[in-house]
Amino acid sequence: MNRTRRNVLASAAGATMAAAAPAVWAQKAAASKEDIVLGGSIPLTGVFAFAGIGIDLGIKDYLTILNEGGGITGRKVRYVPEDTAYKVDQSMAAFKKITSQNKVSLYYADSTAFCKTVNPELERNQNILMTGASFAKEISDAQKYPLQFMVGPNYSEMVSILLQYIAKTKPGAKIALVYSDTEFGKDPVEAARAETKKLGLNLALEIVTPPASVDVSAEVIKLRRADPDFTIFHGYVSAPIPEFINQAKALNLKTAFMGTFWSMDNQTVMRMGAQADGFLGVMPYRYYYDTEGKSPMLERIRKMRPEYQTTGYIQGFLSAMLLTEAAKRTLEAGNELTGKNMKTALSSIRNFDTGGLIGVPLSIKGNSIPIGRIYRADFKQQKMVAASDWINLTQ
Amino acid sequence: MRIGSAKESYAADTALFDSPTQRTWLVVFAVALCLFPFVADDYWLYLACLVAINVASTSGLNILTGYTGLVSLGQSAFMGLGAYTVAILQIRWGTPFLLNLLAGGFVAMLAGMLVGLPSLRVKGLYLAIATIAAGVIAHFLFSHFTSLTGGSSGLTVPPAKLFGLELDDSFKLYWVIVPITGLMLLGAANLFRTRIGRAFIAIRDRDISAEVLGISLLHYKLMSFAISSFYAGVAGGLFAYFFRAVTPESFPLVMSIFFLAAVIVGGMGSILGSVLGAAFMTLVPELLKLLVGWLPLEAFGGNAALILSPVRTIVFGLMIVLFLIFEPLGLAEMWRRVRRVFHLWPFRT
Amino acid sequence: MNIDWWLLFEISLAGLGTGGLYALTGLAFVMIYKATRVVNIAIGEMLMIGAYIFFAFSAGMGLPIWLAIPGALLVCGAFGALVERTMIRPMLGESPISSFMVTVGLSSILVGVVELVWTADQQRLPEFLPTKPIEIGQAFVSPKIFYGFWIAVLLITTVLLVFRFWRGGVALRATASDQAAAYSMGINVPRVFSLAWVVAAMIAGVAGIVVGSIGGISSAMGIFGLSVLVVVIFGGLDSVLGALVGGLFVGLVEALTGFYIGGEYKILATFTLLVLILVVRPYGLFGTHEIERL
Repeated sequence: MNRTRRNVLASAAGATMAAAAPAVWAQKAAASKEDIVLGGSIPLTGVFAFAGIGIDLGIKDYLTILNEGGGITGRKVRYVPEDTAYKVDQSMAAFKKITSQNKVSLYYADSTAFCKTVNPELERNQNILMTGASFAKEISDAQKYPLQFMVGPNYSEMVSILLQYIAKTKPGAKIALVYSDTEFGKDPVEAARAETKKLGLNLALEIVTPPASVDVSAEVIKLRRADPDFTIFHGYVSAPIPEFINQAKALNLKTAFMGTFWSMDNQTVMRMGAQADGFLGVMPYRYYYDTEGKSPMLERIRKMRPEYQTTGYIQGFLSAMLLTEAAKRTLEAGNELTGKNMKTALSSIRNFDTGGLIGVPLSIKGNSIPIGRIYRADFKQQKMVAASDWINLTQ
Repeated sequence: MRIGSAKESYAADTALFDSPTQRTWLVVFAVALCLFPFVADDYWLYLACLVAINVASTSGLNILTGYTGLVSLGQSAFMGLGAYTVAILQIRWGTPFLLNLLAGGFVAMLAGMLVGLPSLRVKGLYLAIATIAAGVIAHFLFSHFTSLTGGSSGLTVPPAKLFGLELDDSFKLYWVIVPITGLMLLGAANLFRTRIGRAFIAIRDRDISAEVLGISLLHYKLMSFAISSFYAGVAGGLFAYFFRAVTPESFPLVMSIFFLAAVIVGGMGSILGSVLGAAFMTLVPELLKLLVGWLPLEAFGGNAALILSPVRTIVFGLMIVLFLIFEPLGLAEMWRRVRRVFHLWPFRT
Repeated sequence: MNIDWWLLFEISLAGLGTGGLYALTGLAFVMIYKATRVVNIAIGEMLMIGAYIFFAFSAGMGLPIWLAIPGALLVCGAFGALVERTMIRPMLGESPISSFMVTVGLSSILVGVVELVWTADQQRLPEFLPTKPIEIGQAFVSPKIFYGFWIAVLLITTVLLVFRFWRGGVALRATASDQAAAYSMGINVPRVFSLAWVVAAMIAGVAGIVVGSIGGISSAMGIFGLSVLVVVIFGGLDSVLGALVGGLFVGLVEALTGFYIGGEYKILATFTLLVLILVVRPYGLFGTHEIERL
């Protein structure tokens, strides 16, 4: 290889390094002392991107509304996100970067793993209240994760809501639980086993799929032999649910199919095709297009954003709402913005009206908000339609 | 300009740092490392610690792959074993952290020897694929041996304690991780001044000839696996203390590929290469972030944040391919060329 | 022991069906290894590219299926030729580890490109295979698996015949056994390399389309390639028949483990099989034994 090619490569590498150096120093812009900072490790790319983009937009929109209304006791809330591609080390690096360059009071975390990894840092920092995209049961333990909470039921509570619906509509029904062999998938299994016994239901079959499985024919054979009344999927976004449904329907199985939060976005479900008609699931929030009941905030969102917004958007919107509400109550009570004060303020929330985004006024006692409603997919209308009342597990 | 370096004793000939200039620069570098934590902010300290951990692991892999010629894609599995050992010891018995690191290295070493056993029967790429199997089996162990490893949720590690001081932020951890990495690098460099190191190199070049010359293949190959996985285990232990959480997903196959890429990009069979390769592979994604943030993508209707992650993946793959095609001896070779320019100045190389 | 024979048969059929897909991907891998001695770990990603190009043609541009499939395969072939020319040819003469690492880099690049153009979301391919389940006695087989299996068998038999009787196939076998001799017999060895990569890429494309239509496509699809690695080691890195037998066997083992022991043990079983075969017969069932000379 001749000299010139080498030189070009070397000088290109050198130039990049030299160019990057001033950019590093430029980044350390002074943050305004007045602003309250909401930092975010957001999965804008990667496997969770469909949700991440929505979450990012939801947070931005809520903060726009809030700041237009004067912010929190006159202080504006500034949003500082970083993309993490849903990888823990990148989330961690983003967290370190944002917290070293700003005084962060509120934070949005992208994954269960990150929530766990960052917990000791939160304890050390003491000034941040955190929520995120994780609904893992472990995070809802207020003793172990005192500075975190989730905007909705944890996965075990989600499955419980599904089971309560089943117990109401078909007592003693036979249930199959299909979940993925990941932390996400295995989260509610224990609770499901206990809850089915308690409600007098029959958990006839548990199917575990490896995280990257392509073919599910062998599992469908198991399903056919068990012939359940309801099949609950958890631990997936989309695949392999459509394949399960297709094969099961082709074999004329009578089972109804149900999913949990992250499989329930309208676009994800409708993409499954005509077979998705009748797909049930639990959702803690109203969908973008819901018009039954009073939801002034939803109408405001619809005015701001004429095109469909995903469930991720609503999640981000609500997260920003609750985070800033906690900050607001802390400041109005005359306390400093520390993590502990904000968490106490959050736990003082009783009968809070989210503007209709969650169907009933909510109270936050522990780390989760165990409220949800069953929705059913109506393929003709291309919409998810409400199929039950709002179920509140704390009552 | 250096015109030859006359050595008067055997010790001087085999010295690691053989010229006064080199020694001076090393002292300067050491002083810079000591001053760094006082001028850097949290983010750069975090990166520095991460680079140090990666350097430790890469140097271990370099011993196995670069010096002994045994390609291994199981480095992340050994790191995982070390990390979990450290986590379990720290959580259950609170043993002193240096002891935990040694224990972690030891457990990884045993696993390494086990994985190395087939290395006599299988060579080259077959061995690489067998090491992938090691990674898969380790991952299975981590996620299903729930009573010990916390299953899929993993373990949260309390901070290491040194003389009663809790090492819970990057600043304090820096002072522990960097010296340990330095020691490991020194150990690796010294290894190749000894008989064992030379045996490794002989095995890499032509293992049948090495056996004919009386080097017991099984003995030395297992030793190579043992040393390299010991390094990986200690690096994994440092990882556990640094991230303070270990889950089965923390040690995927992609991580092994990262380390192998670092060895290749840095330069196989060179300690300096391990340092350069690990630092380069860890820092380039961060530089990329700054670069992409800088570009006027809004003008072209693109969103900088959205393209960053795929671009990172592409650049990672591209770097491996480009280095292999254009600079197979890696960054170490580029470094040596630069040094040669300085040595021979005013003459050209 | 009371064995439900029909159930066993049903599971085995499902396993053989998946095995057919493994065999197909294994075929693409073996082709590349046979001709150019490169262990192509990016085979899963090449499969993914085939699926995505088909997706772009059929769903993105709305072309009819009978146009989209050949179109996608042509693009795959061209892609294979491009990769061979730019990344593999310069590595000729380097150690096998280097060319292996180049394919590792290639896999990263492909994943990044797919994520850039189509994002990392999971997508579904348009349906083009019949959807009625096939009934054999009391056993049901999923139609996609059934047709996928026969496509695989058809392709493999074609390749076996081509290798035997067509000049190009003979040239490939010649190059595989001794490059220098092939050169001296007037065989255009670089052309053979390109041919091997082109055909392999097209076969991977077919596999990708079938796998994609079963499980959907995503940027993480390439992980399929990991199981295929076990298949080719089992069958022998350079044996086409080995790819077929290995694929079917691994598919069977996976299905049986998944059903009788549990889905989470599938990948453990596959890799234990790998370790076993490496210990017992390192060169695979039908692979050629490499004899090292000083």
